Amino acid sequence: MALRRQSVILGLLLAPVTLFLGVFFLLPLLIIAVFSVLSPGLYGGVEWTFYHWNYGRIFGWADGIMEIYEPIYLQILVRSLSFAALTVLLTLALCYPVAFWVSRLPDRWRLVFLFLITLPFFSSLIVRLYAWLLILKPTGLLNTSLLALGVISEPLELLYTPTAVVLGMVYVMVPFMFLPLYAAVDNLDRAQVEASLDLGATRAQTFAKVILPQTLPGIMGGAVIVFIPSVGNFVVPDVLGGAKGLMIGNLVEQQFLSARNWPFGSALSMIIMAVVLTVLLVSVTRARKAGGHA
Amino acid sequence: MRNPAGWAALTGFSLAFFAFIYAPLFVIVGYSFNANPVNMMIWEGFTLDWYTGLFGLSDRATDVGNRAAYVESTDQMIAALKTSLTVALFTTTISTVIGTATAIALARYRFRARGVYNGFLMLPMMMPDIVLGIGLLIFFVTLGMNLSLLTIIIGHCTFLTSYVFIIVQARIAGIDPALEEASADLGASEWTTLRKVLLPQLAPGILGGALLAFVISMDDLVITYFVSGTGDTTLPVFIFGMIRRGVKPEINAIATLLILASVVIAALGLWLRSRKTD
Amino acid sequence: MAPLLEIRGARREFATPEGGRLAALDGVDLDVGANEFVTLLGPSGCGKTTLLRAISGFETLDGGTIRLDGADLAALPPFRRPVNTVFQSYALFGHMTVARNVGYALEVAGVPKPAREAQVTEALAKVGLSGMGARKPAQLSGGQRQRVALARAIIARPRLLLLDEPLSALDRNLRQQMQIELKTLQNTLGIAFVFVTHDQEEALTMSDRIVVMRAGRIEQIGTPRDIYRHPRNRFVAEFIGETNLFPVTVDRMSGDLALAKTAEGLELSLPSAGRMPGERVTAILRPADFAIAAAGIPATVTRAVYLGSDLHLFVQPSVGGPEIRVTARDGDAAETGARVHLAHDPARVHVLEGG
Repeated sequence: MALRRQSVILGLLLAPVTLFLGVFFLLPLLIIAVFSVLSPGLYGGVEWTFYHWNYGRIFGWADGIMEIYEPIYLQILVRSLSFAALTVLLTLALCYPVAFWVSRLPDRWRLVFLFLITLPFFSSLIVRLYAWLLILKPTGLLNTSLLALGVISEPLELLYTPTAVVLGMVYVMVPFMFLPLYAAVDNLDRAQVEASLDLGATRAQTFAKVILPQTLPGIMGGAVIVFIPSVGNFVVPDVLGGAKGLMIGNLVEQQFLSARNWPFGSALSMIIMAVVLTVLLVSVTRARKAGGHA
Repeated sequence: MRNPAGWAALTGFSLAFFAFIYAPLFVIVGYSFNANPVNMMIWEGFTLDWYTGLFGLSDRATDVGNRAAYVESTDQMIAALKTSLTVALFTTTISTVIGTATAIALARYRFRARGVYNGFLMLPMMMPDIVLGIGLLIFFVTLGMNLSLLTIIIGHCTFLTSYVFIIVQARIAGIDPALEEASADLGASEWTTLRKVLLPQLAPGILGGALLAFVISMDDLVITYFVSGTGDTTLPVFIFGMIRRGVKPEINAIATLLILASVVIAALGLWLRSRKTD
Repeated sequence: MAPLLEIRGARREFATPEGGRLAALDGVDLDVGANEFVTLLGPSGCGKTTLLRAISGFETLDGGTIRLDGADLAALPPFRRPVNTVFQSYALFGHMTVARNVGYALEVAGVPKPAREAQVTEALAKVGLSGMGARKPAQLSGGQRQRVALARAIIARPRLLLLDEPLSALDRNLRQQMQIELKTLQNTLGIAFVFVTHDQEEALTMSDRIVVMRAGRIEQIGTPRDIYRHPRNRFVAEFIGETNLFPVTVDRMSGDLALAKTAEGLELSLPSAGRMPGERVTAILRPADFAIAAAGIPATVTRAVYLGSDLHLFVQPSVGGPEIRVTARDGDAAETGARVHLAHDPARVHVLEGG
């Protein structure tokens, strides 16, 4: 029967991805979950006993013997969340006007500038972060120029601060915010904007009542795409952050490669996963409500 | 066009934005020609030393008196590049094949789990690299597998398959299903239809996906960092290490070359996308 | 002689978003002869395209059988059926030349190149596209693309050719020209055509037989004349050609005529055969069956549309009731506002049971 044949072909087409992601994506995530409640072994391995104290160490319950509660972890979690939120806001503030500007350009220029915006992000991330290192150093470009211009008398402590981390993350995340935002702005019905002005609304009112609501899906999409990698980011704080810019991603890396406490590292990762899944869930349900039933 | 003052402000802002984006690139390229080996911020003169040094053609070493370390560093860098290319090649091939097959399945067949698959394929892209990285690390170690090129390739394919999928999926949405029906109607089996009709039409999308996968694989740092063994380093991981160990002017030269390579690839991608579809 | 194509009890159902089931095909029986031009005609959603796709294999039936030359097609996937389709969008392979498009069926069957090329040249000649082999579809006009689709579908000499509204994208003049060409082609090739359209004029022009469909069922099968002159029910009567419907009650018999009246009092003469006084029937008269005469139904012309050879009139009977459509000739005294009398030939009245 023709249907049987179709099923076989479908199976053949889907088997690779199902197997591959099932084994190399789902299973590892599962293993993290399992490890997060295991006990760390003495010499860096694990002991297969149920051990919820990893979470206790982070969230507050501890018996003083197995683990102690260290509030620093919650602080770092909060810091990571706020850095990520700040990154979202800053990238939004940066990209929105530019998206507008590009969409209003004549056709030929538009393509050129779109290309120019995406071009830098084809080159290696680590290389560009390194450049920021050169720029922000006390003997770096920024300080040298400002000193030479007489704007400041002493070099600014920019590197290894929270500011540097957020700056770095904003820089990294700009294309992820720009593209969905640009798509939304480009799809705006100009006739509606004109109608609003025609009916007596000021530019500010038109922006708030017509443009903003209609670009909101793009904003939300961009926000999600920026927030999630920012929360778990470890490269930017590692290169630019130092001790004051430590984020939860760095903690994970330390637990796995230096402290060798894999269960604790897994617990920290579970928290990152929980944040990510929550954000995704919220955005999906919001999208469904907005686009679905009237 | 809106009011001129507003437009001027917007233009000014946008140009500043572009300056912000391009600043690091110019800094790197500029410093790669600075002859000053100690304090890069002080311009000493134009030189190509760092470039020639990269390829072992120059005697000038950064750590004077530590020649051995310098030469080794260059060899390591080239080895890292080779490793990156090898990984990228395998990863691109595997993820393109799997991603394309999946896109075809979801676009051309109706089945109940279709929505689930669509959502499920987004997950690897949304999950932060660090979670994927350590997950795979634990997975491989628990299974007793050695960390090697293979584990790196697996790690890359895990999320790159989704990227290829999305791109091919977008392309296939624009292809009239009647074409494949016509092919079957005229006597071609499913495999023949795939070869003679669907794949040629899909080609720009597949190439675009492959290009993207290649670029992302070459640049991947986090996942590679966690799942590579002691013997294998890719270029990004190598540079990351170099930054941690101490900044050398050769890094600027490598970085500039990488930037150049990326411009070429970006232009290639642009050319691909501009090819008229039929 | 057994028909080429036998369809029995074809059923196809879909689940609706509200949770019910919709029958796209609701028990269809149809025979098609080996050299026939059959048209499936009906409004959108009547099932004609579903039936066509069931024959070509792109829809599977939930019930019923389809046999070609006696063999059940259900076991064969589309690429094994000796049936070819001309698609509504033509579905030409944009990345191949015209020649490769046309020769595709032979290419996948493994026919060697020289033989293929010869047949492609022949097929292109048959559709009037000689010499166009090297072009790409994007370089062709709509009409030319249509012909390529045709050539591609006939080259493998299928037993049956299916055409899914192939002319709907063409402008009027081209359409009419293609209608004639298709009909001629079908005669020349000697294969059966099953043609789908929603345009009743097209159906009337080309078909040996018309299959009128509605809501998944066949309403009537017949030659164009049968369908036009003797529609089996209101739907068919109103779908084909313009028509005037009169619900009448038979008043009295008079010789071989039965005289009937509408509720408003309009009088019509029907053939007396089988009629009884007091009976309620529907009388159907086509616009051409009325004539402007000296005596007859008194009426006023409300609108006159001049169409060159004909005058289409909308005429309001003096006694009241709906407007009557009449086709008159240029030269009849019938401008807007004119008072006229309508006469009709009782033999031309078609009667449907039920008022």
